[in-house]
Amino acid sequence: MILEALAEFLTLSELGGVIVNGLAKSALYVMIASGLTLIFGLMGVLNFAHGSLTMVGAYLGGLLMVVTVTGGTAPLTRLGLFFVAIVVVFALLTVLGGAIETTIIRPLYDRPPIYQILLTFGLTLVIEEVVRIVLGIYDLQPLSDWQAALATKPQFLREPVALGPVSAGWMSLFQILLGTITVVGIWAFLTKTRYGLYIRAGSEDTEMASALGIDVRQVFTVVFALGIGLAGAAGTLLMWDPTWGASVPLAAETLLPAFIVVIVGGLGTFRGTVVAALVVGMADAVTTWWFQNAIQFTGLPELVLFLVLVVTLIVRPQGLFGVEEVGGH
Amino acid sequence: MYHTLLNSPVSAETQMLLPTVETMVGVLYFGLFAISFDFISGYTGYLSFGHAVFYGTGAYTVILIANGKVPLLGPGTPFMLSLLVGGLIAIALAMLVGLVSFRLSGVYFAMITLGFAQVFYVFVRGWDYVATNPRDGPAVGPSHAEGFQIGVPGIDQLSLSIGVLTGDEVALLGSTLSGTEVSYYMIGLVVLACYFAMQRVIHSPFGRVMIAIRENEERAVAIGYNTYCYKLGAFAISGFFAAVAGGLFAGFKRSASPENSFYFLVTGDALLASIIGGFGTLAGSLYGHLFDETVREFLSKAGQGGGLLPYLRALLGQETLDATLVGETTIGGLIDLLLNGHASLYVGIVFVLFVLYVPDGLLGTLRARLGGTFAEALPARLWGDSE
Repeated sequence: MILEALAEFLTLSELGGVIVNGLAKSALYVMIASGLTLIFGLMGVLNFAHGSLTMVGAYLGGLLMVVTVTGGTAPLTRLGLFFVAIVVVFALLTVLGGAIETTIIRPLYDRPPIYQILLTFGLTLVIEEVVRIVLGIYDLQPLSDWQAALATKPQFLREPVALGPVSAGWMSLFQILLGTITVVGIWAFLTKTRYGLYIRAGSEDTEMASALGIDVRQVFTVVFALGIGLAGAAGTLLMWDPTWGASVPLAAETLLPAFIVVIVGGLGTFRGTVVAALVVGMADAVTTWWFQNAIQFTGLPELVLFLVLVVTLIVRPQGLFGVEEVGGH
Repeated sequence: MYHTLLNSPVSAETQMLLPTVETMVGVLYFGLFAISFDFISGYTGYLSFGHAVFYGTGAYTVILIANGKVPLLGPGTPFMLSLLVGGLIAIALAMLVGLVSFRLSGVYFAMITLGFAQVFYVFVRGWDYVATNPRDGPAVGPSHAEGFQIGVPGIDQLSLSIGVLTGDEVALLGSTLSGTEVSYYMIGLVVLACYFAMQRVIHSPFGRVMIAIRENEERAVAIGYNTYCYKLGAFAISGFFAAVAGGLFAGFKRSASPENSFYFLVTGDALLASIIGGFGTLAGSLYGHLFDETVREFLSKAGQGGGLLPYLRALLGQETLDATLVGETTIGGLIDLLLNGHASLYVGIVFVLFVLYVPDGLLGTLRARLGGTFAEALPARLWGDSE
């Protein structure tokens, strides 16, 4: 039984499908986690509100799409509007992130790091309830996915596409594309711009960076704002994915994988986050396949994700590419 | 007491302000869980973010024993023994988790305990041995129809049953205590005993080392303490009491679900309670949770406890409620929108304010103001008999 399943798993079409799926999941994970890793790497703030802000991004993105898209909108126009929505949501949440950082996170820098965890945890409660209240006004179900937003997805993204012997969804390819854009964008920002240099310097040694004349406080604000913006952009993408969808529980659903990716990759390295997202995405895709075809255990993919986290922390506590000092070892 | 107030002229106000007895029972057992969380997190500084796993273990153990699903222990096992068994399993679990987790510190420790707890959460949610529908969790079956008894096992005269429907009623001094009220006192006894036990540990040399670990672990090591063993011991003790709390919860509610026992947000609630009450004050966690629950019940209509919403409705009268504010929004609609089931919003705001402005929490701040623990400093201040 297991051997048969293994033989089937190793056929080109199945394996190829799993790999494409895994890449798509990795792309989502890297989008969810990149904001978190930027914030943690530089500031040492483990942002528990990240998932909630992803959820807010999903709803905002969904709102923009629902308002602009009508039944007759052509697929390519919808795609164009989607990119506009991502940019708008990114901008809005960046502003929100900047506001959060300057008003309530900033007073906490000289306190032990646990207070930042606590504060952002409290923030999640507030954000989620505000969203629930707003949804209540418009008679939307907070617990189930927002179908109207899902319906704005152009038809061709629902259809499969044949890549040689492998059959994959257009949606997966679309997600891989966006994930790649995100990774390349952040990488270019971190390594090719002056501001990225400041961020990397600040991540390595905050005091030294400020001694060299960099306004670290301002860098903190910018990074926090950008991180939140990325969370929102990821949310907008998730809104179109039927397995995630815009709903209030999306906050907790995305927060935990994001933590896993950031911790497995190592705190403070963007490269580690990308590799970890690949590892976690692949593990997720493989176990999802096994769960669907051979093993009757509902929670298998989720279980394996957390096992990846636990095993990584046991074998290599600083994460795949982590530096020993970051994060209070 | 509660009923006296309810029958008094200020009954409407009382019903609005005070939580129900059932909520108070919840405050007790969950308060114990928060205390055990504070025991490890507040005193050694290691944030045990997967603490819910012990709470869940205790809860599931009690229910599974009552359903006869645990080998060697039949449905007739006394409740007190099930509590103990749950606690022992939790100790074993804490040892396992702790052995690997205490090699890490800071955020990594929080994350690995969270990881372990979520592994168990997912596992329990998919394991159909524990319940026919593991996603909803187990409930006490017909094989154990009578209530769980707290007291001396085997002696009926020294035991009382707990539970909303299954609790014993007791006639006392001319008034009758309902099952829920009896549960309140009996669970309160266990919680008090556990609290004293933990208090004892904190004030022992062992507890001093725990605080030393929080303040400066390197120095504690340099003095010659094997901090690893101390942390592990503290974690095991904390896990034991968390499991007892979980057992009490299951004994009172007679059912448990993965969401309200194993899930990481359960730990989040304990964290909330500890911070509001005061991190590293032990008893503060219970007051923190009491505060949390009171605010929740006051601002949402959860339970039959009244709260602000029904009170406002009755006070304002139908005409005021139907008056329109802007467009089609009525006053009634507005207070409904803001107060119906959205207590988390206000709790969250209170929590954020506490983290920002009252970092020591309720009890911590009080102690700092009075210059000592409450019981010692207050009389001294009132009567000026300083030694």
